[in-house]
Amino acid sequence: MTNGTGGASASEPTGFLYPFIDAEESNLAALMTDLVASARSKIEDSASLRVATLTRCAEHVEVAASAMADRFRRGGRLFTFGNGGSATDAQGTAELFGLPPYGRALPAISLVEDQAVLTALSNDVGFELVFSRQIIALAKANDIAVGFSTSGDSPNMLRAFDEAARRGLLTVGLCGYEGSGMAVSDAVGHCLVVHSDSVHRIQETQDALMFALWEAVQRHLNETAVVRSA
Amino acid sequence: MAIVDDGRLAVDASTVPAEDLAAAALSLARRFGAGGTMWCVAPRWPSHARHVAVEFVHPVIVGKRALPAAFVHAATAVSAVRELARPGDVLLVVSTADDPSLDALLTRADAWGLTSVWLGAGRRGAAAEPLPRADHMVWLETGDAAVAARSGDLVMLYHLLWELTHVVFEHPGLLTEDADTSTDCADDVCITCSDEGRVAEVRALLDDGRVEVLAGGHAEQVDGRLVGDLRPGDLVLVHAGVAVTTLRGSDD
Repeated sequence: MTNGTGGASASEPTGFLYPFIDAEESNLAALMTDLVASARSKIEDSASLRVATLTRCAEHVEVAASAMADRFRRGGRLFTFGNGGSATDAQGTAELFGLPPYGRALPAISLVEDQAVLTALSNDVGFELVFSRQIIALAKANDIAVGFSTSGDSPNMLRAFDEAARRGLLTVGLCGYEGSGMAVSDAVGHCLVVHSDSVHRIQETQDALMFALWEAVQRHLNETAVVRSA
Repeated sequence: MAIVDDGRLAVDASTVPAEDLAAAALSLARRFGAGGTMWCVAPRWPSHARHVAVEFVHPVIVGKRALPAAFVHAATAVSAVRELARPGDVLLVVSTADDPSLDALLTRADAWGLTSVWLGAGRRGAAAEPLPRADHMVWLETGDAAVAARSGDLVMLYHLLWELTHVVFEHPGLLTEDADTSTDCADDVCITCSDEGRVAEVRALLDDGRVEVLAGGHAEQVDGRLVGDLRPGDLVLVHAGVAVTTLRGSDD
């Protein structure tokens, strides 16, 4: 009998009577070791993907943030949307812009917030129109639409971007993989693509991109304020 | 880009408590395996509690089983979880250390018989009082909780928790607590080998100063005369059938 974790019972005279217990013990220790190793390797993957993506997208983030700041200056508001985990990214983004930890609060709302609206539209006109119909109802030309999708191919996202672009909104998309519908759509003015095929790593990196965008927007708005007061 | 250049992006991998994550995942898998439900609350970041719930209920990897998890609004979490949760369920809280609603929830988890998992970020020292206890605390020690919460670190923590939980499911022989032969005490002193008190929540005031409390998810009667002026919902420490003191988090 082998016991890789050095348990004492294998060497005891009665150990052969309880091989099951011995195996369970060493398996648990081995499982915990595996879990820790797996976690560490993914933590490193996550960190390096975020750093690499933000470094690669630095200029694009700067351009998009400058355009967003320009819209906010002209009284524009931010609408965010996404499905599933990306819906919570959309909510988190609205929270970040609207109730910032520091800096100035900006007008932002997520289109996944109201269950009555979501279910009414899904039930009556279909889930594909669940965001585009809200954009038709709410948006004005100076506004901003930010959409999250890991696949970049969700029909309701593509419809929302089409509608937003048609109405003159500034459109910013965050998606994963490569060559997705959002990445090639003319309706997505600024598309930040995370090159990964892991939904989890894509979402983590999209959060990082969004935070970088938000910080850059805050900086641009502050720079304007300084010029004005000078 | 500022967040990359100044090193705020992505906490140092070596500072992420992977051992705590693994231990929490083992507990979670065992609770789910025994039929438990996970209740998710995030006072400052409701979108994170929603994200945790959808992660478990509707996995992104096709073929992984759906696990019972639900979002609960922080503002009404005490009364909602009190009614919804059953002994053996899990309370998962995503929060900073200084959130004022933590005591009320995490301390009650003990009384309600729930396994508590606290995912947090920021400075633990930010709390004015000693930190409330959780069965599993997975903490990202960073200077700025807002950065961790919004730039992928916190979401990474529960992505990993989900993934490790499913890895444990691949080892059904380890899903029961009997698989452990360890009798480790979680704290310096444990109930079985000392005279430590137990956390209980007052449910009803009875005659003769007796009080019905919930401790470890089970109702029992104790003597409430020593502390006096108790109300339903108060938290007390019970020792040898007597409520010996009231605890923080009672004023809800």
